[in-house]
Amino acid sequence: MSNRQKSEKAQKATDSFKNKMNRQAILSFGVCVHCGMCTESCHYYLATRDPKMAPAYKADRVRKLYKKYFDFAGRLLPKWVGGGELEKDEDLQELMDIVFGSCTMCRRCTFNCPMGVDKALLMRTGRAIIYEQGYAPQGVLDVAKDQWEIGNQMGISDEDYLETIEWLNEEIKSELDDDTAEIPLDKPNCNIVFAVNPREIKYAPMSLLAAAKIFHVAGESWTMSSTKGWDNTNFGLFAGDNKLGAHMGNLVYDTVEKLNGKMLVTSECGHGYRATVWEAPNWAARDLKFPMYSFLEIMVDYVKTGRIILDKTKNPVSVTYHDPCNLARSGGITEEPRFLLQQSVMDFREMYPNRADNFCCTGGGGAMSMSEYAKRRLESAKVKADQLKETGAGICATACHNCVDGLTDLIKFYKLGMKVNLVGELVADAIVWEKKPVIPVIEEVVEAHAPFTVMVIDDEPDVVTFLSTLFQDSGYNTLEATSAAEAFAWLKTAKPDLITLDLIMPGVSGLDIYKDLKTDGANRDIPVVVISGVNPENPGLYDMRKLQFEHSLPKPEGYVEKPIVKEELLMIIDKVLDHYKHKK
Amino acid sequence: MLELLKHEVQYVALSIMGLVYILKVFWILRFKPMKERTPGRGMEKKAIIASFFCLAMPWTMESTRKKWYKWLEFAVFHIGIAIAIVASFLIPEAPGLMTAAVVTIFKIIIAMSFFIVLLRLGRRMFSPVNKLISHPDDYFSVAMMVIWFFVAFFAMDMNESHWQFPAYFAITAFLIAYVPFSKMSHYILWPFSRYYFGKHFGHRGTYPKVKGEL
Ligand code: SF4
Ligand code: SF4
Repeated sequence: MSNRQKSEKAQKATDSFKNKMNRQAILSFGVCVHCGMCTESCHYYLATRDPKMAPAYKADRVRKLYKKYFDFAGRLLPKWVGGGELEKDEDLQELMDIVFGSCTMCRRCTFNCPMGVDKALLMRTGRAIIYEQGYAPQGVLDVAKDQWEIGNQMGISDEDYLETIEWLNEEIKSELDDDTAEIPLDKPNCNIVFAVNPREIKYAPMSLLAAAKIFHVAGESWTMSSTKGWDNTNFGLFAGDNKLGAHMGNLVYDTVEKLNGKMLVTSECGHGYRATVWEAPNWAARDLKFPMYSFLEIMVDYVKTGRIILDKTKNPVSVTYHDPCNLARSGGITEEPRFLLQQSVMDFREMYPNRADNFCCTGGGGAMSMSEYAKRRLESAKVKADQLKETGAGICATACHNCVDGLTDLIKFYKLGMKVNLVGELVADAIVWEKKPVIPVIEEVVEAHAPFTVMVIDDEPDVVTFLSTLFQDSGYNTLEATSAAEAFAWLKTAKPDLITLDLIMPGVSGLDIYKDLKTDGANRDIPVVVISGVNPENPGLYDMRKLQFEHSLPKPEGYVEKPIVKEELLMIIDKVLDHYKHKK
Repeated sequence: MLELLKHEVQYVALSIMGLVYILKVFWILRFKPMKERTPGRGMEKKAIIASFFCLAMPWTMESTRKKWYKWLEFAVFHIGIAIAIVASFLIPEAPGLMTAAVVTIFKIIIAMSFFIVLLRLGRRMFSPVNKLISHPDDYFSVAMMVIWFFVAFFAMDMNESHWQFPAYFAITAFLIAYVPFSKMSHYILWPFSRYYFGKHFGHRGTYPKVKGEL
């Protein structure tokens, strides 16, 4: 087919491909001998035994352009060497299914290729050329947009961010019984400028709380930005968009320079660490004057220099460690988390294979934001599930928020009954701190919560009873509903201060209820904390992000995964209500 | 005719190969390499050396560790190729070196290589993954190897009246000239590719793979 017959987007994608070739790329594209040795490194292949999931096959879907336009023989006889074109828009769509939907860019196959082919580099090139034409999973497009426009991947406004920090400050003060404990913002000349994963602000504040506790106990001089420049994540890596990669890197680097920080430290996020520490300086063409570290390295230093003292008896449950791909294969961090776990838990057990040979959590490469491929992702997670099960551990520790989500999802799907924790959370739990944490007297808590009413919507009566009791014990008034009809009947006569909503419900699902609530003028301002689990029949079915996008709905105010951890749920409810009260 | 095949044709083929190899190296160097702007965390030089030697250390990769027989096939097959090429110059230029012992060793390795490439051809044709990732060039290259090792085995006897003898020289010349245009050109790309692999991952401290203490 001549160039003229190609669709405009296919032509642009092809041109972009030609412009993206650098030395490493042409070598990785050219050197593959199709030996198939990498096949059994890939979790997608191992779980399905589908030849189309073989890394070499997937790479060939992008490689065909190299063969057609760059290979010596391929320029004359493309078919002879596997050369081909992108001709129609449908070809871009098909490529999207491969490069986004069946590869987490984990680089496990790269480490197992005798020729040194970096398939993740090829996949990222494939992602880049179609992403530029608007072909990417909706979740990736949304997150990239939020990073461009708002400066963080969850679209958190400055107001919400500051309120969360304020609330966390109260928590840390009370936990350490120390009024000087806080998350300092915009403090100049600090030793450390800390950048986090927005998940820590929105859904998992426990990890930021843990970091704040560790910094405080270690007597560290640290700070965070009060506005843009605190998000260490970077969807430029996943979308293949170097400009976005540079933009996100610059936001953080500018913050460090503006505050005159001595070093930049990224919280526990695999891709955040890789993108911020290794990739973004290249994308942004910046030679940085300050060093960059992972929070894991900082914690190791604290333990080794005695700035924090750990008591492993505080963590008696057996713990294994999952190496995030971006730390183990692309970042060089494998021993630090092991050292920390050996110091802070009673029973640490290795998972096999581990370190650079470890299998992906299956949520890498942005996969957790691609609901359209959730089913395939969870199917491929069988390999990881077997690995986890083999350890017999009660907790799987990891050092990446993305892995926490990926692992939590697969643990539920394969019913492994394990808990997932970040390394920092376990370290914080093990910290020896002289001042006893003050546990507020129950009456005080109850009194503080008394004016609030929480409505529990869940189809399982047992869960409704459990949650209602939990909330009542904490001083809240409660309303109960086991169906949409019951819930809306209540809402005609009462206005709760918060709703906890189960997504998986027969008949009218939680998603439908959420949509109705958020489009109903009278109830739209009631904060909703979504309580979700995975539907084993159809894991992508209850997809909040998709629903939000399709109906232009706001994000839920809180999100909690099942199985419910009481403390976490109460903490989130408390935080949301606090925020709500302020707004009111 | 046979003399032409044994000498001039071989040199012409070699010259073509040499010329295209040089062109290809210049072509590779035309592309700018990605550079790391951050200070390294690991030992780049050590990683580059380890990367070059990864094929001699099958235990360092899960793929070659688990499929050790494929690694063995690879090793024997590549030694077979080297022998078959060296013999194509020894026979016409230094036949005295082709003693009975040398011929026997050459024949054993070439025979093993023949069965290995036959097996590899079978895998390409029947194993679902290999079949799916193979293109005409892959089949052609392996098929040519099968024929080449077959004729090479008999040519080692240096009996010019056997049809395999001239065929051996003709196919050797063809392969030498064809290599740079086919998948077999990985010989040229491989050193560069392993170099950058070692440099990239060595810089980040993830290669050679960490197996120990902090
Ligand atoms: S990528 Fe490497 S291991 Fe995989 S088929 Fe190609 S050369 Fe073989
Ligand atoms: S990078 Fe990971 S997910 Fe992608 S093909 Fe290789 S092993 Fe599979």
